[in-house]
Amino acid sequence: MRGRWLFVAIASAGLLPVIGFLLIIVWMGFWQGNPGDPVSYTFKHYETLFTDGATYRTLVNTLGFASATVLFSLFFAVPTAWLVERTDIPGKNLIFAFMTIGALVPTFFTAMGWVFLLHPRIGIVNKFFVDGFGLAQGPFNIASLIGMGWVEGLGLSSIAFIMIVATYRSMDPALEEAARVHGLGIFRTLRYVTLPLTFPGIVAASIYVFTIGLSAFEVPAIIGMSNKIFTFSTYIFYKIQPLEELPSYGMAGAVSSLLVALALLLSWGYFRVLRFSHRYAVVTGKGYRPRLVDLGKQGRLLAWIFLGSFFFIAKLLPFLLLIWASLLRFFQPPSLAAFEQVSLINYYGLPWNLMFHGARNTLILMVVVPTLALLLCLAISWTVLRSGLKWRLTFDAVAFLPHAVPHLILAIAAVFTALFLLRNVFSLYGSLTIVIVVYTISRISFATRILNNSLAQIHPELEEAAFVGGLPLWQVMRKILLPLLEPAMVYAWLWMALLCYRELTMASVLVTSQDNVTLPMIVWGLWLGGSLNQAAAANLVVLAFMLPAVVLYLIFGRRSRFSEAL
Amino acid sequence: MIAISGLRKKFQSGDQTIAALRGIDLEVPKGEFFVLLGPSGSGKTTLLRSVAGLEKPEAGKIILNGKTVYSSSPRVFAPPEERQIGMVFQSYAIWPHLTVAENIGLVLTHGRFRLPKQEAAQRIRQSLALVQLDDFENRPARLLSGGQQQRVALARALAVNPALLLMDEPLSNLDARLREEVRANIKKLAVRLGITVMYVTHDQVEAMVVADRIAVMAHGEILQIGNPFELYRRPASSLVAEFFGSINWLRGRMLDDTRVETEIGNLTTDGARRYNGGVVVGVRPEDVKLDGAFPGDENRLEGEVLSSTFLGDQRIAEVRIKDKTLVVKAPPDDGALAKRVWVHLPKERLVVFPEMPEQQNRL
Repeated sequence: MRGRWLFVAIASAGLLPVIGFLLIIVWMGFWQGNPGDPVSYTFKHYETLFTDGATYRTLVNTLGFASATVLFSLFFAVPTAWLVERTDIPGKNLIFAFMTIGALVPTFFTAMGWVFLLHPRIGIVNKFFVDGFGLAQGPFNIASLIGMGWVEGLGLSSIAFIMIVATYRSMDPALEEAARVHGLGIFRTLRYVTLPLTFPGIVAASIYVFTIGLSAFEVPAIIGMSNKIFTFSTYIFYKIQPLEELPSYGMAGAVSSLLVALALLLSWGYFRVLRFSHRYAVVTGKGYRPRLVDLGKQGRLLAWIFLGSFFFIAKLLPFLLLIWASLLRFFQPPSLAAFEQVSLINYYGLPWNLMFHGARNTLILMVVVPTLALLLCLAISWTVLRSGLKWRLTFDAVAFLPHAVPHLILAIAAVFTALFLLRNVFSLYGSLTIVIVVYTISRISFATRILNNSLAQIHPELEEAAFVGGLPLWQVMRKILLPLLEPAMVYAWLWMALLCYRELTMASVLVTSQDNVTLPMIVWGLWLGGSLNQAAAANLVVLAFMLPAVVLYLIFGRRSRFSEAL
Repeated sequence: MIAISGLRKKFQSGDQTIAALRGIDLEVPKGEFFVLLGPSGSGKTTLLRSVAGLEKPEAGKIILNGKTVYSSSPRVFAPPEERQIGMVFQSYAIWPHLTVAENIGLVLTHGRFRLPKQEAAQRIRQSLALVQLDDFENRPARLLSGGQQQRVALARALAVNPALLLMDEPLSNLDARLREEVRANIKKLAVRLGITVMYVTHDQVEAMVVADRIAVMAHGEILQIGNPFELYRRPASSLVAEFFGSINWLRGRMLDDTRVETEIGNLTTDGARRYNGGVVVGVRPEDVKLDGAFPGDENRLEGEVLSSTFLGDQRIAEVRIKDKTLVVKAPPDDGALAKRVWVHLPKERLVVFPEMPEQQNRL
């Protein structure tokens, strides 16, 4: 095939930095010194990792936070998935639309809402109890592992839902019907057939959510950091951008290495369980829909009360709190006096000049990153599935790494590279280019999975027919593959664009100047600086900008593809 | 045993509403092996699933064993678990997380009966013996072959001593050889147990092998109910005739009660009914006789042999009469056919139906 090496080269160009960054992280852990100092190496950081109480506390915090995240997300996702897939509950399209949008709402957005609601000191629910009942302390504390897990879990319930729905769909409904027909009622069928069969799928979803929780940054950063509760991601961040001491890249590298090892272990477990659950998957030729459980009037009402409260609590409540906060100079619970102080002053007072910089940069990222990622991933997918190359499975494995490796760590590796390795070659630090590079690399796993799935469904003979007809590879790509892959690419492009828009984790270390500031970073900057109400206003403005993109996604992206990428 | 009247069911598929059942009436006496036969989309599976309680019809009535399990007015709907049925699914629906014995045991201990363990174990052994899977009790179900899964599915369905056994294309996922063996066994087992069976298939040969009576379905309606012989020899419509084996159609119009003017010449029929307008005369390939000489009887026409293929147990020939080509199944040992032959269409083998619009395009 003429042109084969060009594709392999492009694929390698996308994947080499991934391996590079991982090596740099491990190496960083041995590194000692400050920018400008002569470099020396030490085992000290890895030693501290296993002897220092702070690391241990962070580990316990992180595991607790991630476990709470899994519990809360499953609590909402499993019943919702069952209701949608196996009962006659009305409004299923609405539930799906809500869940899709739910996955797009930035977690830092809801996290701020929850602070206004349940912060031990300023949260309105706590204030209500303290003022109303003379309690010394508010009963709820969002700044705790359970509290943060609650917020993160609500956010990730969308992803858990989509994965569990996929489990239900891959299960032959006749398995449940056989139980009903032979005398088992609804609940016995659930207990003896449905649950055991979906269990591996639920475990896989739990591991997946747990992995995300392990490296989650936004919630621990918005809620935990100011209350001195550190998880791995915020601990690493704090080592790089401390308030008082000098940054310790060495310690960040050591902790990151540990976190990467944990995440890779979990990913391995995830694939094991997933393979196990696929043993139960039956592909039936029949397109009939399963017999839906008749909920009855009362059941439907109960189900919608559950779903309604879930939707309200997960998204609407934080949203309302942010609106309320954005209208006040100082946050206080709603009251007559408070209503008199309502004004748009926070909106007028926003750093609009910076916001325009941020909007411009964010827009560039939204266009460039998905395009670049698709280009790289097209080459990767082609290399994996079509090149016939001996190492093609290595490409697949490396393409998976950016999913397993916490994105914060990718960003730190990039910053380290820019600051210490390439300082005299290019000036990347603080540039938009470095943001583009890291964002693109972080999306490789997602886009490769989507394209792999689509490409695998295209029969190779379609291309071979063109090769036989004498077309060179790039023409085959242009005339045959691209048109056939188009729906998947449009979907993946839109989804990645939206993720770029809401990205805060990587931005938190990559963004250092007005040249590469993004909209979420401005919100976060205001929040960290203590202007909570102004941050709320900025957040709403940012979300309003996102709306047209979400509408585009709902029109052109198809929800069914989402589960393919997990 | 089964009495169904006026059963209707619609499906919503996108913007389209598809009538899956348009007023089904039928009765199946106790102990009968009753087959629902039809192409895909004919509504046969929907009908079976309605009897099982897996679909809820919109109108009509279903009585099983004297008990009304569905009725639109007064509103009655018994859920599947209350209908005392056994069912074999097309995909077998063997629970992959359980062993063979547990697959059967679950319905015995947690279904209608709630049998104690010991009694259940005995029943499991009995029902596995019925399908010759005696030593498979502890085998994980997902490790079974397709044929074995099919037998476990049958054992599970029979274990609950059902008044009625439902089977939804139970053989369609087996290879051809196994299918012949299994369908003979199913028939024998049903006769031995004296059980009532409702069986869905799209394979007309399979239906003829197992059925006492067959209901031929198309577009959500029953076209004809009868035993295999009646359906083959006395089809009620051209659709039924086409569904049971191949048939040659000749377009024409009736001259009087018995004579039809067709595109290949005038033919005499047994003449049961007179139709005005266009008709088609049907004759099956094996009923056409090819004689070398002209014996001077009715329905004899001269034709030209276009092709003749020896297939071992028979010879397939294409014979042209005027502009019409007929397919003929001849005995295999006639030797090579002469170029010109006399074709005999025995009048007792001819069937006459009004011409259908869709046939006009094909003839």
